[in-house]
Amino acid sequence: MNTIRHQLASPLQLLALATAGIILLPLGYVTAQALSADPAVWSRLWATRIPELLFNTVSLAASVAVITLVLGVSTAWLVTRVEFPGRRLWEGALVLPLAMPTYVLAYVYSYLLGFGGPVEHLWQLAAGPQARIFSPHSYWGATLVMALDTFPFVYLLSRSAFLSLNVSFEEVARACGVSRLSTLWRVTLPLMRPSIAAGIALVILYVVSDFGAVSLLRYQTLTYAVFQQMTGRSDNTAASILSLLLVGLALIFLITERWFRQKSRFYQTTGRYRAPQRHRYGWLGTLAVTGYLGLIVGAAFALPAALLIQWSLSPEAQATLDSRFFGFIWNSGILAASAATGGVLIGLPLAYLASRRPTLLNLGCLQAAYAGYVLPGPVAALAVLVLFTKLAPVFYGSVLILIVAYVIHFLPAGLQSLEPALQQITPNLEEVARTLGLGIRDTWRRVTLPLVRNGFVVAWVLMFLQTMKELPATLLLRPVGFDTLAIRVWMEASEEYFQLAAPAALLIVLLSLPALALLVSKDWRAT
Amino acid sequence: MPFACLRLRLHRTILSSFLLLLAAGIFVPATPAADKLTIYSGRSERLIKPVLDAFTANTGIQVELLSSGTTELVNRLKAEGERTSADLLITNDAGSLELARTAGLLRPLNMREVERAIPAQFRAPDNAWVGISGRFWIVVYNTTMVKPDQVKSLLDLADPKWKDKIAIPNSGSEYLQAGVSVIRATHGEEKTKQFLLGLKSNADGQVYQKSSQIVDAVAKGQVALGIVNHYYVYRHLATQPTAPIAVLMPDQQEGGMGAIMNVAGVGIIKSTKHLESAKLLVEFLVAQAGQKLFADLDKEYPLHPDVKADPALVERKSFRAAQVPLTKLAELREPTLTLIEQVGLR
Repeated sequence: MNTIRHQLASPLQLLALATAGIILLPLGYVTAQALSADPAVWSRLWATRIPELLFNTVSLAASVAVITLVLGVSTAWLVTRVEFPGRRLWEGALVLPLAMPTYVLAYVYSYLLGFGGPVEHLWQLAAGPQARIFSPHSYWGATLVMALDTFPFVYLLSRSAFLSLNVSFEEVARACGVSRLSTLWRVTLPLMRPSIAAGIALVILYVVSDFGAVSLLRYQTLTYAVFQQMTGRSDNTAASILSLLLVGLALIFLITERWFRQKSRFYQTTGRYRAPQRHRYGWLGTLAVTGYLGLIVGAAFALPAALLIQWSLSPEAQATLDSRFFGFIWNSGILAASAATGGVLIGLPLAYLASRRPTLLNLGCLQAAYAGYVLPGPVAALAVLVLFTKLAPVFYGSVLILIVAYVIHFLPAGLQSLEPALQQITPNLEEVARTLGLGIRDTWRRVTLPLVRNGFVVAWVLMFLQTMKELPATLLLRPVGFDTLAIRVWMEASEEYFQLAAPAALLIVLLSLPALALLVSKDWRAT
Repeated sequence: MPFACLRLRLHRTILSSFLLLLAAGIFVPATPAADKLTIYSGRSERLIKPVLDAFTANTGIQVELLSSGTTELVNRLKAEGERTSADLLITNDAGSLELARTAGLLRPLNMREVERAIPAQFRAPDNAWVGISGRFWIVVYNTTMVKPDQVKSLLDLADPKWKDKIAIPNSGSEYLQAGVSVIRATHGEEKTKQFLLGLKSNADGQVYQKSSQIVDAVAKGQVALGIVNHYYVYRHLATQPTAPIAVLMPDQQEGGMGAIMNVAGVGIIKSTKHLESAKLLVEFLVAQAGQKLFADLDKEYPLHPDVKADPALVERKSFRAAQVPLTKLAELREPTLTLIEQVGLR
């Protein structure tokens, strides 16, 4: 048995090592390039750009974190602890903003809140013709857009925490005479800390690595600056330096979150003995809750979606729906499908080895694959670019280089569903199949694969979805004739041709919806 | 059961062969059709595609366009070297073309059509790149907020009285880099630095990626002034004739520098396998018909002496251009970028 396992493991092992290498190498190259840069470039960047960029990035992440915390936890509490008409509907609707790429929301808001835009007109009716509202092309504009787009991460995780929480803890507190509010504050929320922290960490990583929204809103963050350096300069030294800082920053966030989660780990010895009771609200309460949720979902999804539909129906937009447009759809689809397939194929040996033979080496390979988390799109593009020009210039300008960038960038998202899928099946099942005389391949095909299929599908869909929306790496690496829907949205929207950008944007949103439904249904528990 | 099994197998064979085909289709670089040109274009797709479509309609030669940033495309050509699929490079800036030429990416041309159509100062000495349309870096102002005599020179825009009233392109813009190069060559390092510091403080957050956005901001009155290439203003006026904007041709005062001129241009890539078709395109772009398209559609100044600019534009003979040769823009670029970075322009 052991020898067979060894035989099976060694090629796999090599594959896993090679994969980890491919993922880490680009990062290594960028780091080397940044560290070997002329100190004069470093000092010039420190003296001019870096303080501003660091401050902008960190302060945006902080404000978005605070707002998503409030929005996410409050909405999760309402749909789990309060009973009001339409609750089930809102419960689902609050996830919808995830289907809206940040650059789409950003361009809708730069129209809505823009100078002389509809919101300003409304405001001027109330406050006089000279009144101005805050510009969307600012810190607050970026905060608003990013918060509306990312609060569902916090909402989803808080919601499942509220649902799985053992109500006994709260009941004990209530029985001891603690008020309802105080119970929430002193018992419920502290118990939810790990879930909330995980949600916030997702939000922060998302904000730090976002390119689409900040570029359209002209808010200077590190990610945006890396892109500008890559497109505006003839050498990549400054871009590498900024990338290294960005990776460092993302790592700090990631490690902080891990540490925080380690420190506050709670155990429930038994499952909850009954679902938490919902407080029933009267008509006034219902009105207030519906208004609150309606405002959030309206601002984050319904209003932008309605505008996109309206714009898409305009004659200007209709005129763009020619054979070229279908080419963009095809490009988006084929790139996303290749990246998702590549991601699953590459992630599989990593996840399999880490769960079946959790040696230090295998776990290390798996962790290496998570490096994509701290490689925002432009950095992944830069890394792959530098690597390929050094090692395999033949592929420069081909589809392969773009797909490698996608896989590196989105593998973590895929691994997160591959890993548990593999962990959930006990090796005993495979061993039984083997003792009953099934060969290695047949065991895989007839036992392991059917069991992990769902996890695979989810991983594939997740990577497909992310790739389809991806912007900066596609902009930087796309081969001739490979414009995608995302590229079209960005090209038109960055020149403020809102109508022309709408059909592609709407299509991205529509295609994201079924994928989103699939993902949410995976751990959706309705009670 | 065996039947189901067979069907499954068949199903699988079809699926896998489909996948294989697909993979072959995208990973193996397709050999481009004989009469298909691949163009890397640093100009906005909106400004160049109509002209290329006219070329396809005339000659039947298909054109595949990759629109991106000029500098980015030059970087890309350098990295791709001989393997590039590009046949031509079109850019919005002569300096970038000259840099591509000195990097050995472009192919010298010996074409009578080019020499006859385009005056010598608008092309490389060996014709490795050829200017196709002229543009001036001008001040656009909102006519309800600014009187035209309030600004004489680009350098006036550094005056603190324009604090928060001016919009500028970002520092990655090749126009801005070329403009600053010309100012440096004319006024020297220190004066340019003071100008950029003032400009940076006046523009503050109003730093834009696209020139069309700057014109838009001026037209709406969000800012009073902007620095852009002239044709963005006239293109805006062509669709919205009542917009309160106008062009101010800077630095025309006695002893002034003159307006900063640049050209959009084209060069044939050295390794092209479609030289004849590529030459046909160059010929089309510099001939009267092609030049007229740039004049009418894009509102640029045609370089062909016999083709007239759009009558809405400031008469070309009525103002002076700065005396810095276009080919010098390349060598001026690197120190200009250093200066821009020192000042900390976005």
